[in-house]
Amino acid sequence: MSNLILLNPEIILACAGLLILLAGAFIGESRAKLLFHLGTISAAAVLGMVVTQAVMAAYGNGTMWVLDPAAQLFKFIILLATVFTLLLSVNYHAIQPRHVGTYTALVLWASCGMMFLSGAMDLIYLLISLELISISCFILTGFEQKNPRSAEGAIKYFLMGGLSTAVTIYGISLFYGATGTTNLFNYVSSVDLHFNDPAYIMGMLFILVGFGFKISMVPFHFWAPDAYEGAPTPITAYLSVASKLAALGAMMRIFASVIPHYAISSTLVIAVLAALTMTVGNLTALFQTNVKRLLAYSSIAQAGYMLIGLVVADPIGRESVFFYALAYLVTNMGAFAVAMVVAGKTGSYELDAYDGLARRSLGLSIVMVMFLLSLAGIPPLVGFVGKFYLFASAVNSHTYLWLAVLGVVNSVVSVYYYMNIARRMFFSESKDVSAVETDIYTAGVIFVTSAATLLMGLLPETFMRIVKGCVSFHS
Amino acid sequence: MSLLSLIVVTPLIGALLILAIPGTRTKLIQGVALVFSALTLLLTGYLYAAFDKTVVLMQFVEKLSWIPAFNINYCVGVDGLSVALVTLTGLLTMLAIIYSFNITVRIKEFFFWFLLLEVGMLGVFVALDFFLFYVFWELTLVPMYFLIGVWGGPKKEYAAIKFFLFTLFGSLLMLLGILALYFNSMPHTFDMMELIKQGSLLPRAMQIWIFLALYVGFAIKIPAFPFHTWLPLAHVEAPTGVSVILAGVMLKMGTYGIMRFSFPALPEATKWFMPFLIVIAIINIVYGAFCAMAQKDLKKMVAYSSVNHMGYCMLGMTAMSGIGWNGAVLQMITHGLITGSLFFLVGVIYDRAHTRDIDAFGGLAAKFPVYAGLMIIQVMASLGLPGLAGFVGEFLCFLGAFNVWPYYVAVGTIGILVTAAFFLRMIEKVFLGPFNEKWAALKDIGFREMVAIVPLVLLTVIIGVWPKFCLDLIDPTITYLVGMIK
Repeated sequence: MSNLILLNPEIILACAGLLILLAGAFIGESRAKLLFHLGTISAAAVLGMVVTQAVMAAYGNGTMWVLDPAAQLFKFIILLATVFTLLLSVNYHAIQPRHVGTYTALVLWASCGMMFLSGAMDLIYLLISLELISISCFILTGFEQKNPRSAEGAIKYFLMGGLSTAVTIYGISLFYGATGTTNLFNYVSSVDLHFNDPAYIMGMLFILVGFGFKISMVPFHFWAPDAYEGAPTPITAYLSVASKLAALGAMMRIFASVIPHYAISSTLVIAVLAALTMTVGNLTALFQTNVKRLLAYSSIAQAGYMLIGLVVADPIGRESVFFYALAYLVTNMGAFAVAMVVAGKTGSYELDAYDGLARRSLGLSIVMVMFLLSLAGIPPLVGFVGKFYLFASAVNSHTYLWLAVLGVVNSVVSVYYYMNIARRMFFSESKDVSAVETDIYTAGVIFVTSAATLLMGLLPETFMRIVKGCVSFHS
Repeated sequence: MSLLSLIVVTPLIGALLILAIPGTRTKLIQGVALVFSALTLLLTGYLYAAFDKTVVLMQFVEKLSWIPAFNINYCVGVDGLSVALVTLTGLLTMLAIIYSFNITVRIKEFFFWFLLLEVGMLGVFVALDFFLFYVFWELTLVPMYFLIGVWGGPKKEYAAIKFFLFTLFGSLLMLLGILALYFNSMPHTFDMMELIKQGSLLPRAMQIWIFLALYVGFAIKIPAFPFHTWLPLAHVEAPTGVSVILAGVMLKMGTYGIMRFSFPALPEATKWFMPFLIVIAIINIVYGAFCAMAQKDLKKMVAYSSVNHMGYCMLGMTAMSGIGWNGAVLQMITHGLITGSLFFLVGVIYDRAHTRDIDAFGGLAAKFPVYAGLMIIQVMASLGLPGLAGFVGEFLCFLGAFNVWPYYVAVGTIGILVTAAFFLRMIEKVFLGPFNEKWAALKDIGFREMVAIVPLVLLTVIIGVWPKFCLDLIDPTITYLVGMIK
């Protein structure tokens, strides 16, 4: 049974993208912002649908896809990130009015791909969703036509992305050669047959590379800083949150549930990659002078922390990744929103644009400090609870205690560069002392994300319950 | 809402209120800060009065469910170990706020961070749930970072981040230790009292690992050798009021944590660690004293004397007996009073002369009799003159430790000698001898400064003459705690 009905949200979102693209051709440039609103509304409406599905517990399996609590959690995260991204885009200067329709449609389609990805139970289906995300995101990254950095980032992203797709496809073909299927439903019943088949294990590792690229896992992270720096800032936020978390969700499904990494003896590989990801990300971030690059490396490091939960892979490990995904969503989105506001006023993404910001806009500075502290994992903010959860899973596993210790050392390193921004805002002086104003859309995003950062940190119980309810992948 | 929650929440309300006042209304901001810190002090005073000295268990306990998913509760309570520290925190914060009325830049932010800091410190001393303890512990970090970094001296930024990184490293290791305890308890819990009951059942090797993880967190705060390097820097760069809090309260969080939790919960590890702790204590005492002797900067000298005095405190802890532990707790309190007031006094002279160089002064006693009098009383208390508070604590620490570690204690007495030497040399250079005419225009200590300092001096004398009123409070709990380990 194909059970296409389970894909209704994705289908509606894709159609909305098409309609908006079409509408873009008929709406005058002066009223182009309307298209952002349409995009936001459709994403929000689909978000509502997903939540309704979750409330009604409308779970089920399709031929190649599945709708389970985990998929729904990640769809929720993706759509929320999409709404935030489109709201941030409304007053972003570098998007030309005549391209608003294309831009909005591409964002919706990329989100659509991510939603497919989060429920993928077939490797071909998974590949197509990855491609839908990649192609949309390549174009979005290069959207600032007048900015050579944007083109550079897009090209790098494209080349590395193409390579990683090729590797993934090769991995899938090896998998198919070894098992005779690409479908993970069929596969589950014959899991023991292939336990020690080298072609199959190679295939899985190549597929891991494809994911590694998407979540910017070291050593497949080289595209990230350039693409993040070049892309329009709302897209940077989108790449670092939605794209990363969607891929992480699918990775959790495959490597922590369907074909657990410990069953193919590759736990140590992932553990070492997790260790490398957080360490390299943090150490490189120390030397950045551009805030977008800094946040890019910081988000590489954040991916490394989240991989701890994947390595542990027991229920607590999975819960911790899911919780951290929520935490990372609100925190990183907020940090990029503030970065965008500051750059909108000063015209620069360099760190010295933050000098004396506390004198200019105390509220904005305090909120930014909150986001940074949350990323660093300082209580009582949500990032702390997330890290607490991740470290708890590692401590509980005993075997991976060393990852928790490394995570601790990394957190200390990360505080140095996060607080460097705080230092500039509060301790340094700037020549320009005019206030930094925030437009209503961005202010809305900042308000919601900062409130969530604080409240989810103080009262995490509700979200922990949600996350606990979501750990079960398809039965 | 119980009394303890009220104590913790009062400064928080003050902080939020300050955030709502426009930055230009400086008098109002100062007023609000003063009122809320005074209110907190009154409540802690009431706590002190209402505290039943004969009960050894936790009093004023309040327990609310917070994060049931991890069995985390909002749980607060005090016993003889913490009640005096809570009162000390209330007192020192209010006095430091009064002293800090001389801050002229970014007043709103200053008092906001200051009251937030008080929330964290009070929370640490009343928390009975380890998760809550950790949250409060970390809550002290960020305000302190900004207080040093914005209003500090020339090297403030370096001092602030060094403080932050050191402390965070320790506290995150502590977090791992806490998590290990959590997962090894059955049913999983963060409740300190429950963990203390279950901790002793853990295998010895695990106890040792957990003890070390917690110890690093606490030792950095104390600061115990070799983790002390952040302290002189942070103290010297911090503004006066903040130095007072740093020395007077925050250092005690480390020793408090060890006595509250590490010792009773992990007895096997404690026994294993004692030979190391005594060595560290002696290094702190002797090395701290010699470092202080080498300083030309008054404030740095007092800062190193803190390293030395916290060494006495650890020395008392190594005794593992009622006498030594009473001494350690008393030493925490008297060090808060004495060193706190010494930082105030150093601040007074620095505000006037804009230098803290010991050699730059001379003969100040004749010109500034009140100032010199207060300073000499507190210095004498700090070097352990009988009749003043410092003596009682130090004496009990040495007395307790002598039973167990006679040779180490003998070495430790060098520290007392050196302490006396550098303090007396400082008095000689600054207050005696020919008057340096360069300072003829300076004024003697003012009213605001007197208000901040005199209560501490009075308490120093009172505790020195009649230590019983403090020891009565501590002793029953300490006897109970010592009994748990033996």
